[in-house]
Amino acid sequence: MIEIENITKRYGDAAVVDDVSMVIEPHTLTVIVGTSGSGKTTLLRMINRLVEPTSGTIKLDGVDNRSVPGHELRRSIGYAIQGNGLFPHRTVAQNIGTVPLLLGWDAARIKARVDELMSLLQLDPAAFGPRYPHELSGGQQQRVGVARALAAEPNVLLMDEPFGALDPIIRTKAQQDLLAIQKRFGTTIILVTHDMEEAVHLGDRIAVMDAGKLIQYASPAEILAKPATGFVETLVGASDRPFKLLSLGEVRDAVEPGSADGEGIAAEASQRDALAELLWSGRAAMPVTSEDGTAIGRVTVQGLVKRAARPQ
Amino acid sequence: MGIRFDKLGVVIAAITAYGAFLAPFATFRANRIVAGEPRSILEALPSPAGLVLLVILVAAGLVALFKTPLAARLGASAIALVSLALLIGNAGSYLTPEGNTFARISPASGFWLLIFAFTLLLADVLTRLQLSPVGRVAVLGIAAAAVWLLLASGQWDSLSILKEYANRADSFWNEAKRHVQLALGSLAAAVLVGIPLGILCHRVEALRAGVLNVLNIVQTIPSIALFGILIAPLGWVAANVPGASALGIRGIGAAPSFVALFLYSLLPVVANTVVGLAGVPRIANDAARGMGMTGWQRLSGVEFPLAFPVILTGIRIVLVQNIGLATIAALIGGGGFGVFVFQGVGQTAMDLVLLGAVPTVALAFAAAIILDAVVEQVATRRSTTVAA
Repeated sequence: MIEIENITKRYGDAAVVDDVSMVIEPHTLTVIVGTSGSGKTTLLRMINRLVEPTSGTIKLDGVDNRSVPGHELRRSIGYAIQGNGLFPHRTVAQNIGTVPLLLGWDAARIKARVDELMSLLQLDPAAFGPRYPHELSGGQQQRVGVARALAAEPNVLLMDEPFGALDPIIRTKAQQDLLAIQKRFGTTIILVTHDMEEAVHLGDRIAVMDAGKLIQYASPAEILAKPATGFVETLVGASDRPFKLLSLGEVRDAVEPGSADGEGIAAEASQRDALAELLWSGRAAMPVTSEDGTAIGRVTVQGLVKRAARPQ
Repeated sequence: MGIRFDKLGVVIAAITAYGAFLAPFATFRANRIVAGEPRSILEALPSPAGLVLLVILVAAGLVALFKTPLAARLGASAIALVSLALLIGNAGSYLTPEGNTFARISPASGFWLLIFAFTLLLADVLTRLQLSPVGRVAVLGIAAAAVWLLLASGQWDSLSILKEYANRADSFWNEAKRHVQLALGSLAAAVLVGIPLGILCHRVEALRAGVLNVLNIVQTIPSIALFGILIAPLGWVAANVPGASALGIRGIGAAPSFVALFLYSLLPVVANTVVGLAGVPRIANDAARGMGMTGWQRLSGVEFPLAFPVILTGIRIVLVQNIGLATIAALIGGGGFGVFVFQGVGQTAMDLVLLGAVPTVALAFAAAIILDAVVEQVATRRSTTVAA
């Protein structure tokens, strides 16, 4: 659990982060959203003390983060940034092994951990381990960056616009990988982005920041349904609010009894994808299939449209 | 298909034609200080060697003139250079009257022009071959071995410069040792002081402008003036600091030469360290901090390795510069190859000047090639871009 209490950071007279308090539950993915200059990155960097707060405290599992020296604190917290910041003069394997080496793990343990993480992120350790970062594609570099951040098995992972430099297709894949990793290791992830779409897609909770203040801290559904201010509403984007809302739910929750013709959709797909498919193929309903391929009912345009309406 | 000329080849062929037919190949002097008489290739070499050399030079000049395969150009330049190097020795023994130990035979402008032309051709071929760094050092090694073989075989013994050497063989190697000590020693001292100073300038912004400006000013002081400036303080140190004079510190001699070379070396080392460190990708540095590296770990593990190719470029500049500048040290009794240069100037004996100048140029040239190769070798393993 991360408790942020009345944290403020001033540069001169300007408060970049202004009296922010929030509690981040363990094993969740929290997204901090805001425009540039909103203080979201500064807030993130105060958690691992890359930036020292002017006032206020941050506690990790009840312990003040100032109770250990900064560099030791940072070794226990994963850190991944936009453009990944890989070391160009070190191989992929050396890059991933950075923090374990700092922590004094023995060589065999580092190698085992590096191989495990590379396999997990679909990078063949034998092929990619000895290469240098510039020999990799952007997507591969980003995965190495995530692997490096996770190398020392941190409980907390901080990510600053980790997908900012990726093209849309690779970005979607990277987001899926991140959700899978979070599920597998139960890591508490705090991710900073300016993209509300990404926030709604990834976040268990979303913190919206503007001009250094925390405007709203709630679940994605609540942010969509009850934006606290006009600013949040603008950030959400009035025109595709209903679609964002649908994207939060799986098709299995919208299944109605009955059958339908034509190609089906998987139960774990998002309701937004189902509606899009129905509209595009000009059908009113389509069958839903479970993981083993059996039909479990159907989804209808009507049913989905009801779900897309503003929750009461 | 029309005949196509090689652009550089036109220049090389023109120099070759002038050097082979119009300029003198060797100079004959009755003794080491009188004015010389020019000798053409045909006059300087016994028949048929002179004719053979002319044929070789014309053929090689034609290969250079037209667009020809690289292998042919490489062969032409190598054959021309080897023939010139061998036959200038023959000219020496042919022109020296039997039993005369005063006469001096030296290479003349034609010989030097021809050497220049075919070295240019060879350099052009080697550039176009895009040799790896290791390959370039290997070529340098072959060239050095060839020169050493010619020297050891006695082929050149009848040339004036080697007669000067024969008279001074002992002191030549002493001065060579002193020259290398001055150049490398001051470089080592500049690296030991300059890199930490550069790191300090990088970390402490307030220091940067001041330090670099002072070093810039030092760099603009003419070397002879700097030697003069140093005489007073070093003389004072020698007289007043116990043990200083026992260490060889005096107002004149090796100590001020060493200090002056050291001061000249500081600017390139410090400036390149600062530039190299400033060029480290900000994002890599941020990631290093974010992962919990201490300041020292970031410096030794990330910043310094990434800045190293740039720092090495500075060291290369300093080494080549110092090998040349160390010649001046002889003026204040610092020793080195400059001793022969200044003695030669004093005696108007050009051969003696060359005995000092040629090894200096050769050393600087070799140092430049070797360090360029090292810089490239170090730099190729690293990319300059980080972000995707």
